[in-house]
Amino acid sequence: MKLETLLSYKGLVNKSPSTDEIRDRANSLTKSLPSEPIKLFYGETYDDYGNPIDSMKYYFFVSMLSKSLNEEGFKTNPVILIADVAACRNVSKSLNNKYIELGEGRASFVDNVKKIYNLNLNIIKMSDYLFTQEFQDKLEKIVSICNKNCLLMRKIEKTVPESKIDIERKKNFAYSFDEIGTIIDLDIKVGPPREDLYDDVARDIAEIQAQKQLKSLFLTPTFPLGKNWSYFFAHEGIEEHGITAYKAGSKQLQVNRIIIGQTDYKKVEELIENSFISKNYSLPNPCLDMCVIAEMAKINLENSENFSNIYDEFYSGDLSERQLKNIALDSLTKYILSKFENE
Amino acid sequence: MNEKEIEIAEKDYQFKSEQRKKEIDYYKNKMEDIGLKSIDRFVSYCPSPSDYMKNKITYAHMDLERIAEAIADNKPWAVISGLNPSTPLHLGHKAIFDGLLWFQNQGADIFIPITNDESYVVGKSKSLAEARKTAYESIIPSIIAMGFKSEKTKIFVDSDYLDIYNVAMDISNKITLNKALKIFGIHESLEDENPGTMFYRSAVQVAQILLPQYEEFGGPKPTLVPVGIDQHPYITISRNVAEKKEFIPPSEIITKFLLGFDGQGKMSSTRNGSAIFLTDDPNSIDKIVKSAYTGGSPYREYQENHGGIPEICPIWSVRTYHFQKDNNIGEKCSSGKILCGQCKKEAIEEIKDFLNEHQKKLPEARKRIDEFILRTPIKSIFN
Repeated sequence: MKLETLLSYKGLVNKSPSTDEIRDRANSLTKSLPSEPIKLFYGETYDDYGNPIDSMKYYFFVSMLSKSLNEEGFKTNPVILIADVAACRNVSKSLNNKYIELGEGRASFVDNVKKIYNLNLNIIKMSDYLFTQEFQDKLEKIVSICNKNCLLMRKIEKTVPESKIDIERKKNFAYSFDEIGTIIDLDIKVGPPREDLYDDVARDIAEIQAQKQLKSLFLTPTFPLGKNWSYFFAHEGIEEHGITAYKAGSKQLQVNRIIIGQTDYKKVEELIENSFISKNYSLPNPCLDMCVIAEMAKINLENSENFSNIYDEFYSGDLSERQLKNIALDSLTKYILSKFENE
Repeated sequence: MNEKEIEIAEKDYQFKSEQRKKEIDYYKNKMEDIGLKSIDRFVSYCPSPSDYMKNKITYAHMDLERIAEAIADNKPWAVISGLNPSTPLHLGHKAIFDGLLWFQNQGADIFIPITNDESYVVGKSKSLAEARKTAYESIIPSIIAMGFKSEKTKIFVDSDYLDIYNVAMDISNKITLNKALKIFGIHESLEDENPGTMFYRSAVQVAQILLPQYEEFGGPKPTLVPVGIDQHPYITISRNVAEKKEFIPPSEIITKFLLGFDGQGKMSSTRNGSAIFLTDDPNSIDKIVKSAYTGGSPYREYQENHGGIPEICPIWSVRTYHFQKDNNIGEKCSSGKILCGQCKKEAIEEIKDFLNEHQKKLPEARKRIDEFILRTPIKSIFN
């Protein structure tokens, strides 16, 4: 698939560097370090509610981006990071082992998705590198730069939700620094729009170190299924930022998510049926998001080159709300749910 | 146009433009000062918002989220909106009741207190009896004629529904007089107040607002109070009391005032030439409309070239609120495509048609008053 086609698919990409910017980065990297691949990256944590379908959007995308660049002759290293150490930081010590196991589970889920859809992905866990001397040295430099720079420290503080600021301050913002250390060397980081706070600090530090700066590529936010219009009206924050794609229990909305291997067909049907849907393109459209994910699954399965025009067809009025819901259910069933029936 | 005429026209246009700015700023600033939210998000989400909401006549809210949830999930909720019966209903009141009808169609139980006690204590009526008479003879039939469903509408005249005073007593120890004075902005002088006005404002009015949440009506539930922006203090005090009673703090929705024909602000029954009443003889309204203040120019040629200023025009206001709900008339006015004479002529026809239709329904409505009157005793406060 052409890079232009992938990046211009409506309903998938929220904000992206231009194709020229991506190619410029790839070209300059190839010229300066011919053996170095372009580092493409998506990182996620998890919770104990299972593997949400919404993460698959990112797995598919990173792989498709990688393949698009490969087709143009560029080497890539498309990484899916399972941030197991970060996930453990959010839970009590007694749950550490459980969360390490959950991390193994998430990694094997990604591996399974990779095999089913023939994705081009390298799966790594945070615990694989976080405690290496190389990473710790890098981290030390980053912390030292930030400690000398009030502005940067203020930005680091902003990466933490206000409710957790005191706890994180006591931990010297270890979580934030681990994140920044992880992403600072990347070329293209794929994620949800809310990760821009980390990306921004990482770019600032890279600039101080006279290194290349990562480029952020944001996909469209994730919204809960099975919620009517009043829910989104009453939750302005969710309308704006969505929920966390990779945590099934984000905002305690696990019953409003499709969790692979857990949510059965009947429940999926119910969720789609009861989902908010509007012809106003500025409002959340979780059903369209499901269509997009299912279409990405189809493209990877069939190795096809082109997306459908479902976004324009829906918002121009060619497709009704009913038809979009039917497409969402049918395509999810055919291209995703059926592939995990024995999970 | 000669130079003198141009000068006059330009001064008039400038004056009216400033008037429009004041009007816009008034609502905007009030909304921000009070901390209300714009209705825009509700309009974009609600599957069938009212015309008033779409035209931003109903323009702001507080806690409408609770109401939205009740509408969407088909849960019980109530709307309470009262009026004082010093005169029959006028077109400004009709706007309020149009709003209530929309809420009823969305599932709300509607409570309409007719506050003849207020009319009397504030001096708008000579006696309780006089206001009571207006309520039964004119106001209630007019409300019924607008098409409310009796099974979801509860009307009561305060002096006939004595339980409201028990409810007022029940809540009166949840608010101090000091707090009430502060909320209503009565800091320095109490000269215009009497014990009746203070009891009414700080207890009876709150009792009316919280009544739908008493056990007799199913207990605590989301309750919406449609008000004019000047009535916000009543909501503040009611929310305060609701929390102490473990009720749900009432939500608020604000509708802009319909302009009076005299151009002196909101339509009011107390100013001559300001209002058209729903019981007026349709053939008598020509004069008030023809002599109404407008947003147009004193010179035809100037208005054709520059357009009028609809936002300050009572004719535009009446037509947009009640008859031309797509606000097409405003665009025609500001582009100079329609002039005041023609607009007034069309308005007269529309108002007459409405009054004729409305008044035809009144005899039947009078026969149905009993279906709508609330008589439920409030015993739960004695438990």
